Amino acid sequence: MAISTPVLEEYAGGTVAREQVGLWRDGFRRLRRNRLALAALVYLTILFVVAIVALFWTPYNPAAILPNTLTFLGPSAAHPLGTDDLGRDLLSRMMQGAQISLIVGVGTSAIVLTVGVVVGLIAGYFRGWIDNVISVFINIFYGIPGILVAIILYLVLGRGLGNIMIAISATAWMDMARLVRGQAFSIREREYIEAARASGARSGKILFGHILPNSLGPIIVQATFVIPIAILTEAFLSYLGLGIPSPLASWGSIASEGYAALPLEPYMMLWPAVALSLTLLAFNFLGDGLRDAFDPRQRL
Amino acid sequence: MTDPILEVRGLSTHFFTDDGEVKAVRGVSFGVEPGETLGIVGESGCGKSVTAMSILGLVQRPGKVVAGEIMFKGSDLLKLTKEELRNIRGRDIAMIFQDPLSSLNPVLRVGYQIDEAMYAHDKIPRDQVERRGIDLLKQVRVSDAERRINDFPHQFSGGMRQRAMIAMGLSNKPDLLIADEPTTALDVTVQAQILELLRDLNEQTGAAIILITHNLGVVAGLCKRVLVMYAGEIVEEGTAEQIFERPQHPYTWSLLRSVPRIDANRGHRLLSIEGLPPDLIDLPQGCKFNPRCPFRVERCFKESPPIEQVAPAQHAACWVTMERAYAEMGAGTITDTSPGAASGVHPDGRRALPAAEVPAAVAEAGQ
Amino acid sequence: MLTRGTLIYIAQRLALIVFTLIAVSFLVFITVHSLPGSAFESERVHGKALQLVLHQYGLDRPILVQYWSFLTSAIHGNLGVSFQIRGLPITPLVMRELSVSAELGGTALLITIGIGTTFGVLAAMRQNSWVDYTLTSIAVVGYSVPSFVLAGLGVLIFSYWLPNVTNGVISYPAIWTGTYGTLVELSLPAVILGFYTSGQVTRITRAAMLEVLQQDYIRTARAKGLKSRVVTVRHALRNALIPVISILGPLVISIITGSVIIENIFGIPGLGKEFVESILGADYNVTVAVFTVYALLIGIANLVVDLLYTVVDPRIRY
Repeated sequence: MAISTPVLEEYAGGTVAREQVGLWRDGFRRLRRNRLALAALVYLTILFVVAIVALFWTPYNPAAILPNTLTFLGPSAAHPLGTDDLGRDLLSRMMQGAQISLIVGVGTSAIVLTVGVVVGLIAGYFRGWIDNVISVFINIFYGIPGILVAIILYLVLGRGLGNIMIAISATAWMDMARLVRGQAFSIREREYIEAARASGARSGKILFGHILPNSLGPIIVQATFVIPIAILTEAFLSYLGLGIPSPLASWGSIASEGYAALPLEPYMMLWPAVALSLTLLAFNFLGDGLRDAFDPRQRL
Repeated sequence: MTDPILEVRGLSTHFFTDDGEVKAVRGVSFGVEPGETLGIVGESGCGKSVTAMSILGLVQRPGKVVAGEIMFKGSDLLKLTKEELRNIRGRDIAMIFQDPLSSLNPVLRVGYQIDEAMYAHDKIPRDQVERRGIDLLKQVRVSDAERRINDFPHQFSGGMRQRAMIAMGLSNKPDLLIADEPTTALDVTVQAQILELLRDLNEQTGAAIILITHNLGVVAGLCKRVLVMYAGEIVEEGTAEQIFERPQHPYTWSLLRSVPRIDANRGHRLLSIEGLPPDLIDLPQGCKFNPRCPFRVERCFKESPPIEQVAPAQHAACWVTMERAYAEMGAGTITDTSPGAASGVHPDGRRALPAAEVPAAVAEAGQ
Repeated sequence: MLTRGTLIYIAQRLALIVFTLIAVSFLVFITVHSLPGSAFESERVHGKALQLVLHQYGLDRPILVQYWSFLTSAIHGNLGVSFQIRGLPITPLVMRELSVSAELGGTALLITIGIGTTFGVLAAMRQNSWVDYTLTSIAVVGYSVPSFVLAGLGVLIFSYWLPNVTNGVISYPAIWTGTYGTLVELSLPAVILGFYTSGQVTRITRAAMLEVLQQDYIRTARAKGLKSRVVTVRHALRNALIPVISILGPLVISIITGSVIIENIFGIPGLGKEFVESILGADYNVTVAVFTVYALLIGIANLVVDLLYTVVDPRIRY
């Protein structure tokens, strides 16, 4: 088949863009039909609202040891979720925990997204020695359990919300970089990149104007899956007493205190357990839904 | 005429998909006599493979045999229990498939896969299985069979894999071997060898063979009798000679016109059949070939032609038949096979413009 | 099976592992030694006495010299001495802890693969039925529920609610008191650890089975008249295991990650507990040693996985 004029015009004009629009529309339609993913989205929206409310208002000061309150108070009108071993209000602490979990999850994902995409694009687009250096580095550290690196780095950096995100990102960016590198490698070969290069586009424009939009689906999916991993890692660290410094409440640290108090007060552990499980489940369902919708090749 | 070993009566197999009911096979009837070589030809999607799969009970969801009977040695295969049918598969009726690379399990040794077919049925005494495995490989002309039997499929060439598949099919001395496009994935020279092998094995073992293919040349080389299928139905049946020399259905005629021939004169144009096979979910009324038929008449749009005897041992399902077409339309030298070209019958019943004046419209309709 | 090519391949991979170990241990060594404080500062050792102790442990030398002496003795199997328990040789300590962790992790790995492949095959065989939905949901729940949640639940059930049923054999007070390393004691932690990772195995197995069941050779196997159980196990499962093997490497990593948590929750004296304690106690040598052992384990696990491919898939040869 000979290339007729309309086809050439499409190259210049924006077949790529139109293809993308179709892809996104199809994706959102598929996502809307996925009930689990929608339910997850609803749950996460509520959780975000709770976290934002917690910025301005909690029933009690989550750190305050309340006077005239007994420790390990069961659920009551005054304390819907009860009080903890020091007599602090558990609802307030859980609300603060939601905030911490979401900040860590989304924040880590953002760091991973930035670092991973930039490094991956550089390696995948420029190849040569830059790619070699990056690949050797990733290959050495690929497979080292992230939690070990996170523990060491977090202690080196010092405790704090920002540092815990950096510590978790320290290994998590590699998956993203590998993904983006692979995408860049394959997309680079496609003809519209050739067309763009032939028409004199600069590498920056090719990178961010063509390669990035075309691999956005898998990148978003990967970034979504980083969130539950980060939340879980933070909870683990806090559980081990290596996390957010007290008196800040994290679901992990509440669970840890709850575990110690298990024989006395089972539901002090129950709240963070349920909240963490539901949140991780929701992010995993959302990630699955996004993958099915926007990255059909990867479907499991 | 001896009793047929296999008799298919009114077989219909449909696939229940999200888009609708795909009527892949509709009311197919035919018989196979012992030791016979029967060819089933047609374009891809005409239902020939589904017919074969239906016989062995291998049709997978969402497909289902919805009507008919398949009589084999006095019992209806469609009424057997799973276990009874399993016992016939590979023992009395064996099947070989198109792509010998993907049809052999990549992680199991070739010899193991052949022996396994014998162990599954206990027809061959257990202590003879391994010996027979090697003998079979020799019989299908794999050289150095003693050593190659321990190879994995990827160590075999394409032709050798198909030989191994045939050995596997023959291992239990079946009465009937169904070969579904056995040569399609192979080189031309290897194709000829495999066909010759099948012919020899048919003579030596006496197993009847049903050969399913879209390639008329392959049928001519092996089969004594031929069924032509179109859109899930048998449209013509006859001896190989009749089908090739005096085809009576316009579809068979068109198929033959589209086969390149080395002995054709230069001026003779190779003609393809215009248009595509019909949508099996939403079939046309009347004869299913009418949208593509050069000889159609108005009756073709209204009534489905039954399959009737047109010559001794030859049957065709057509209101016109080639004999009448030649005689009445002077169509013996037709060079334009576009729909309605010879009879000029438009789907609406109006006389269409001469084909030469509407090439673009016809071409578009055919795309 | 061990051809010359395979041996060369193994040798290359081992060399790569050694290189990785050096690189990883170097970076960890440098990082850990930059941590504020040391194991000795907590004690009442000041001034000259502290200098003396630091000198005794070689900590007053330049960091690169310290790493070099760590590396040279590590090659001879000597991972140095602990700071916290003055002068205790680390190698036998780590070895004993490794045996505990290996027993826990190995059991968990078996449980993971057992549950995961069974669930995956069942789900694939009954695709889109309630069996499928239930099992795939369990899989997602499996890796969404943090292991400490399951641990809490397990302890609650077996230690507080049903102590009579378990007869005290499975009893987990918040602090581990028993001897370590017996299978009965490890059973609950191993199940919890294995359940978490089994979800990934379920999903991969299911996807691989569905893919394999569509293959032509499955049709051939059925056309031969093999029993459906034979078709599933011998023809489908063996091929479906190939992608499952590919996640064994990540699986080992997941189990090591999980064991760090589980060992600390249950107080199991393995590598994971030691790692956290050593870093909290600024016992650098132990931290570096444990980290290096983990890296070695993962390197070997990945090598074993790659060799397993050749066993399951005859098309792969190195």
